[in-house]
Amino acid sequence: MIALIRLWILLLIGLPILYLLVRTFARSLEREKLEKRWDAKQGPGTRDEFVARGMAVYSRSLRKKLLWGVIIVPLVGITTLVYVLNFT
Amino acid sequence: MNWIYGAITVVSVLSLVAWVLSRNPLLKRIFKWSFWGLAALLIFSFLHYTLPQTDIVRIVGANTKRIDFGENSFFWSGGEVGNATGGATRDIFFIETIQPNGRPLVYRNEDTGWGWPPYFKLNSFNLQATASSLISTAEAPKWVAIQHYGWRNEFFTIFPNALSMRQVEGPEVRIVPWASIIILAVLALIVLLIWRMLAQFRERMIDPMVEKVGDRIDEIDAAADEARDRARGRFTAWLDTWRGKPRR
Repeated sequence: MIALIRLWILLLIGLPILYLLVRTFARSLEREKLEKRWDAKQGPGTRDEFVARGMAVYSRSLRKKLLWGVIIVPLVGITTLVYVLNFT
Repeated sequence: MNWIYGAITVVSVLSLVAWVLSRNPLLKRIFKWSFWGLAALLIFSFLHYTLPQTDIVRIVGANTKRIDFGENSFFWSGGEVGNATGGATRDIFFIETIQPNGRPLVYRNEDTGWGWPPYFKLNSFNLQATASSLISTAEAPKWVAIQHYGWRNEFFTIFPNALSMRQVEGPEVRIVPWASIIILAVLALIVLLIWRMLAQFRERMIDPMVEKVGDRIDEIDAAADEARDRARGRFTAWLDTWRGKPRR
């Protein structure tokens, strides 16, 4: 029982931290990409506006929502493993 | 047993420190290689112990024996998931087998439960029943592929832990270690992710900050020079140019 609680605490703390780290990383990559695109074409608009608009689009995109997989995939994976390894 | 790992870890950390601190190039090289060698040894032995491997064997017995854990307690699991844990003595399932080359190999059969390594094995009792049903003789062998992790070592009385088993055609059946391949691929991806994240953090956060601080120092420098020049008057400043001191 202790081991199960320990596993849950580990997941409840570790996965959100991992999610935040990966989300920050993905945002940084996206911002860098937008900045490089503006630098190459020198437009449209000012650099800050262009990046801000691009980031607003990104924050509503499916690509960003897929990052929730960082939390969902391990939980589904563990559940699947418990079933497959013990009950099939 | 775990003191061996502790000792290797301590020595490898000490070599890292000595590598960084030592001035003698020969010593530096020795400490560098001792650090990388020990780190590789720790990582390799950890993976070799923890990753699943499959043997094809013939089961000759499935028994229970009481074990009083001693210095080898590191290499035993914590007990079945629903039972009390942390005792110094427990009954443990053993699966006795003969390898195709005729040599014996004994497995333990313990729950890993929710702990380490994360195989989430809860069915040791069921696995023991399966093992009993697959017992065969040398005359009419039933070959069984047993997936396990861990080591057999007679000096420490430790046994690999059987995870699953299935009957196979014969000892020559080719088994692809999919589980290890997947686990290693995921580990490689995680290492790659961490490395890329650190590189990105450095490129986007550290480097601009260092640049900014550098610029600021240059500005302060320039301002100080200017103030000094003003204070000393133009003539002294002009004299300075004759001293080979660059005028900024």
